[in-house]
Amino acid sequence: MRQLLIDIFSFGDRPRFEKIGFLIFILIVFIFPWIVTSAYGRAVMIKFLLFALFGLGWNLIGGYGGQVDLGQAKNVGFGAYATALMIVWWKIPFWVTIPVGVFFAVLESFAVAYPMFRLKGHYFAIATLCVALVWKELFIFWDWTGGARGVEIPIRTGVDFAYMQFNSAIYYHYFILFLFLTQLLFMNWFRKSKMGYWVQAVRDNEEAAASLGINVTNTKVKAYCIAAALGAVGGSFMAVYYLYIDPDAVMPLDLSILIAMTVMVGGAGSIWGPIIGAAILIPLDMYLGAWLGAQKRLGIDFMIYAMIMMVIAAKEPRGIWGIIERVRKKRSR
Amino acid sequence: MELTVQLLVYGILMGLVFALIALGLSLIFGVMNIVNFAHGEFMMVGMYIAYLLSTYLPLDPLLSLPFAAGAGYLLGIVSYRLLIHHILRGPMVAQLFGTFGLMLFLRYLAMYIFTPDVRSIKEGILVGKTLSMGWINVDASKVFSAGVCLLAFAVIYWMIYRTKLGRALRATSIDSEAAKYMGIDTKGMNALAWGIGGATVALAGALLAHFYYVTPTVGMLFTLIAFATVALGGFGSIVGAFIAGIVIGLIMVISGQFVSELKFSFIYIVYFLVVVFRPRGLFGW
Amino acid sequence: MGIKKLGISSFVVILSLLILLPNHSFAQKEVKIGVILPLSGPLAPIGKSLKDGAELAADIVNKKYPGIGIPIADWEGIPGLGGAKIKLVFSDSRGDPAWGAEQAKRLIEDEKVVGLLGAYQSAVTKTASVEAERAGIPFVNPDSTSPDLSKRGFKWFWRVTPHETWFTRDLFDFLDGLVAGKAPGVKAISKSELEPLAVAAENTEWGAASLTEIEKFAKERGWKIAEAFKYAHKATDLTSESRRLTGSKAPTFLFASYVSDAILLVKAMKEMKAAPRLIWGQNAGFIAPDFWKTLGGDVNGILSRDVFAAVLGKVKPEAERINKIYKERSGFDFDGSSARDFIGVQVWAHALDKAKSTDPKALQKALNELNIPGKELIMPWKGVKFGSPFPGDTNQNELGSGIIIQYQGYPDGKPEIVFPFEMATSKLIYPFPGWK
Repeated sequence: MRQLLIDIFSFGDRPRFEKIGFLIFILIVFIFPWIVTSAYGRAVMIKFLLFALFGLGWNLIGGYGGQVDLGQAKNVGFGAYATALMIVWWKIPFWVTIPVGVFFAVLESFAVAYPMFRLKGHYFAIATLCVALVWKELFIFWDWTGGARGVEIPIRTGVDFAYMQFNSAIYYHYFILFLFLTQLLFMNWFRKSKMGYWVQAVRDNEEAAASLGINVTNTKVKAYCIAAALGAVGGSFMAVYYLYIDPDAVMPLDLSILIAMTVMVGGAGSIWGPIIGAAILIPLDMYLGAWLGAQKRLGIDFMIYAMIMMVIAAKEPRGIWGIIERVRKKRSR
Repeated sequence: MELTVQLLVYGILMGLVFALIALGLSLIFGVMNIVNFAHGEFMMVGMYIAYLLSTYLPLDPLLSLPFAAGAGYLLGIVSYRLLIHHILRGPMVAQLFGTFGLMLFLRYLAMYIFTPDVRSIKEGILVGKTLSMGWINVDASKVFSAGVCLLAFAVIYWMIYRTKLGRALRATSIDSEAAKYMGIDTKGMNALAWGIGGATVALAGALLAHFYYVTPTVGMLFTLIAFATVALGGFGSIVGAFIAGIVIGLIMVISGQFVSELKFSFIYIVYFLVVVFRPRGLFGW
Repeated sequence: MGIKKLGISSFVVILSLLILLPNHSFAQKEVKIGVILPLSGPLAPIGKSLKDGAELAADIVNKKYPGIGIPIADWEGIPGLGGAKIKLVFSDSRGDPAWGAEQAKRLIEDEKVVGLLGAYQSAVTKTASVEAERAGIPFVNPDSTSPDLSKRGFKWFWRVTPHETWFTRDLFDFLDGLVAGKAPGVKAISKSELEPLAVAAENTEWGAASLTEIEKFAKERGWKIAEAFKYAHKATDLTSESRRLTGSKAPTFLFASYVSDAILLVKAMKEMKAAPRLIWGQNAGFIAPDFWKTLGGDVNGILSRDVFAAVLGKVKPEAERINKIYKERSGFDFDGSSARDFIGVQVWAHALDKAKSTDPKALQKALNELNIPGKELIMPWKGVKFGSPFPGDTNQNELGSGIIIQYQGYPDGKPEIVFPFEMATSKLIYPFPGWK
């Protein structure tokens, strides 16, 4: 038990500068809503934490697992729909709906994972993309999910911890921060766990991992399912944060790609990568969009965004974390 | 019966265009193992060239085809030299990411220049002419496009399998390192693959512009269809892209008739089922 | 050293938030209205004309335009606020509900707008109006037509345009009128000539709502439906969907499509030489400038429901004069989209004038009590007054109305009004004349 707690909370194996950086980060995030009064600034922060959370989940399969999954949006959708539908149909409190969303996401991932992991590389990436798009079309097609008209959660006034509806962004900030930290600590435990080592061993060399007695397919499937569960939690948050969801909003291809990109920009396979990536991409996108989105000539915001993406992909394929690691290695030498 | 014939004809005509769109993607992948998200945007460029030449110059859209192909070729080469060449050494995610950036860039550059207006070609020998044969009424430009697609496939096939240049390309795709030691300019081959890929897809765009609308965001759906087509046929296989294009055209038209809302799902499901049993697509190696 | 660098580089973005906080002081002589519209993405062409309409209205309120004949043209700023000028703060919704909600937050709290206007797509209006409701800021919605929106009982949400239930009732009034021989220039048509109906709607929030309403009214009024289906929007190809309509041999085609799909559908119908007697579109794509610009002569005879047509100038000289200014500025005639956002800004101007304050509570009261007579509008409406025209509606304009237009004499023609019959500006072309 004690060992478990240490594994969860300890970042002891990380170098000192990372620990200090992390502390500064946590401190800033904690006091953020008190020093920033701009509503948009707070909204950007919430979205950053949301995408950092998505990134942590995706990092498990895409970073540690090395499997390029372009269908994470479907899990976000399962979470969002489970929460929204249960609240609308049966008035079930938010916290009960999270495990349900997670359950469906894991169930579905488990069902498609075995055939999917027969595939490799681009075939796998496109298969994940296809599965996510099929689910999106089904949610539009079905009437019982509200179809294209989506699901609207009725507004509650005041502060409501059962349905997690608040009249101030500060509550949402700490709410998403709580979910984010839970996942961060989970990932902290995961990367040091036996399972975590297996996943990384499979990524680095499948044959070698198999010869060590690791069941390669099982390991991948497990990683895929856990990543799905983590994604669904973020989806549940989206449902109560925006109060209206439809398939185009919670399970589009763009979302899958954006999630993968945040991790990629930050540095896949590193615990800090998704956080760094989201901290760059989300504010960049949101501030560029807010400033340049309504100009006479359209598209400048996206062009700048695209250029930054191309430069990073060309100059530093291992993401920002790759740069930091390289700088550190140079210094320690 | 009437229905069957109509669906078959519409499906095959559409499928041939999909096949031509997918051809370039397949070729590029075959040579250097990279998937290009900006593929549909290359097509969009071809469409705009056909539109601009036929609207602002007294030039029939048919005559714009070589210009579109030429522009696509240049765009392919330039993209390779400026971007793709640099991202090739990165992992697969970085490659996807880089071409995704290229896609956004081209799309919003078009948005910046041409505004988001939806346009289409109004004048042309084939534009808006309908051919009637028994049960079937079909747009003349679709029939013509299908013919050009067949021709383009024949030319590319001949080029890859019957010429010296094609042998060098194939050598590069089988083993780039070995090809380099054999004295083949692999970088040149890569650029060439991008050039041909861009030219064929821009050609498809110029053909499509005859009966389709032109707008900066037109590319994405075609990119997805092209992904499914190429993966279904097997990455790098020319014959595979051809067959898969027709299969996808048929699925799309048939499911559009019965459950239109789910028509893309059927494509993705067919892809999924095929690759689960043949993990390298129908004709992949 | 390394620690410091990381500290800076990792959180430079967060710190930059602090520096980049919008810090606009609230100008005394300016009233800011936030406008959320789909300015990029697939609906950007429509977003552009919505924006042009709103901008023109703000300009007419702010400057003197003598001789137009509606009160706001004689104003120089808002009289009730001592001549304060309206300033529209535009924001792109990207057609994304989540993005729309975030922009609403920004406009409300950072830009300190007194109220919001927008957001065209019903899904975006849903999330953006939730933010306004929470903040207690008025949201005037001139351009979304999903019936759900006014059935939520919001206290800070007013819809100016008639909604889908209304327009669909108009459609069936029109069809029944044709059968009764009320249409100008057309003898009574037997119902069997128009039956059954074939309906194709795109599968978004709006299309789905349209289809439901059409099916509901068809059942109520006793019209048979041969085919009614939703199709995947932003399609790569709509041949088989068009074939499905053509193959149903139905004489009446009804559509709910955005512009790119509308163009593909019409092209495919032409390709198949479809010969329906009536083609009716549910606004949106069927009235977009790109639609008739692209299709030219092929649009002749196509009907669309709308709220405004330039030919209204014949009966409403005010509309003619404003249309002239609009055409000078944007190059197009006013259409149902731009005219609706024009009215949206006009409603805001009147509400501000009446409230004599920018206090939300005063504005709420002013909007609830607002009553703009029809002669002050450019729309063919009886006026703007919020109430409950259909069961379940709240804060829905009850004096609005729809029209049905028909494209006549294109490529150089104009959309003519054919419904309501007493307002018709031209004879109805019936049956559909076929393709060019």
